[in-house]
Amino acid sequence: MGRILIVDDTLFMRTLLKNILSAGGHEIVGEAEDGDIGVNKYRDLKPDLVTMDVVMPKMNGIEALKAIKALDANAKVIMCTAVGQEQMVKLAIKSGARGYIVKPFQAPKVLEEIGNVLGA
Amino acid sequence: MAEVPVKLEKGGSWVTSKIEIAKDGLMLKEPYNVQIPYKNIVDLQQRSQVDTLVVTGPDKTEKVYKVASVDKVLQVLNKKIIMACNAYRLMAHFMSPAIRGGVLVTNARWEKGAIAVLKTGIWFVSQEKLICVPLKEVASLELTKRELQGKKLDVVKVDHLEAGEVVTSFVLCPLSTLQVLYNFLRDATKEMDMKGSELDQLDAQTAQVAMLIYSGMDTKSIENMLNMSAKELDTIYDTLLKLKLVDVVMIRKEVQLTPKGVRYITDALKPPA
Repeated sequence: MGRILIVDDTLFMRTLLKNILSAGGHEIVGEAEDGDIGVNKYRDLKPDLVTMDVVMPKMNGIEALKAIKALDANAKVIMCTAVGQEQMVKLAIKSGARGYIVKPFQAPKVLEEIGNVLGA
Repeated sequence: MAEVPVKLEKGGSWVTSKIEIAKDGLMLKEPYNVQIPYKNIVDLQQRSQVDTLVVTGPDKTEKVYKVASVDKVLQVLNKKIIMACNAYRLMAHFMSPAIRGGVLVTNARWEKGAIAVLKTGIWFVSQEKLICVPLKEVASLELTKRELQGKKLDVVKVDHLEAGEVVTSFVLCPLSTLQVLYNFLRDATKEMDMKGSELDQLDAQTAQVAMLIYSGMDTKSIENMLNMSAKELDTIYDTLLKLKLVDVVMIRKEVQLTPKGVRYITDALKPPA
């Protein structure tokens, strides 16, 4: 089980992920509604894993991913995006993302993916 | 000519038998002893280790044969049938599954092969894979673009249900063929399209509930997440049921203790004498 930081600009998505991950036995150590807040929270909270939305105002998910990887090369970040933005996958993976979740998603698969990344 | 061991169903019981796989057709041995040209096979369905073959006779009547065997045998048999039967077939590249339950399948890759559209399902066939997507499990279709070797290419995206999971697959072929495939599949699944009057009944909150159901949330979690009473959620469930967007899978009971139940609890909590 891991300590997880959720970064997403919509309250609905953050709440949904929080519910899924808590039900799966993970601890939600923090939430952020934008990339730059996410990077600061990563620095303060040192979570085991981050779920990172791609499209966000101010600092987007890819920039935030790069900033987190600059802070901690071993950071485990799973990107989360809407259908139709799969072209971001290559960029995200190149930037160090460990996994990719496409919205809408199903709880068991999300938990399986997070378990895999935490266990890796 | 190859011969494979199978069981054939007749009159509700299974008979150990064999099928000869020839160039032009199949020979079903005992208890049928019938020759079936591939071009007479109009449909093929596979459920676990049982194939259902639908064959049209010279008098245009349809006959159904059920064949059971191990996966390896069915794989050989079905590949042969799919590539030769009476179906809309096209050479294409496909990626299936590309996304499963919203999680990108990391080792997914484009497979070179064929797509065959039969009466009740779409089959993807390649050197290594044989995948069937029943048409009734196709949830959505989209003609979209996907990047491949630096180029943006037209693809058909098919979302389908597989054991309760939403699986996304992609088909890649020349645009004109893709358009034909897309139109055919749209037409075959058009009863799933939402009418304007149906969409009018879906307000933002109902859509949020549907989204949470998709994600696997149970009733209690949805009530908590959306700060909603059981009665309010029930009304939304009724709308979703009426629109055939959901099925009832379980009815939960709310109960209260009877006087006998109250006595049992009271007694159980008394300190031992």
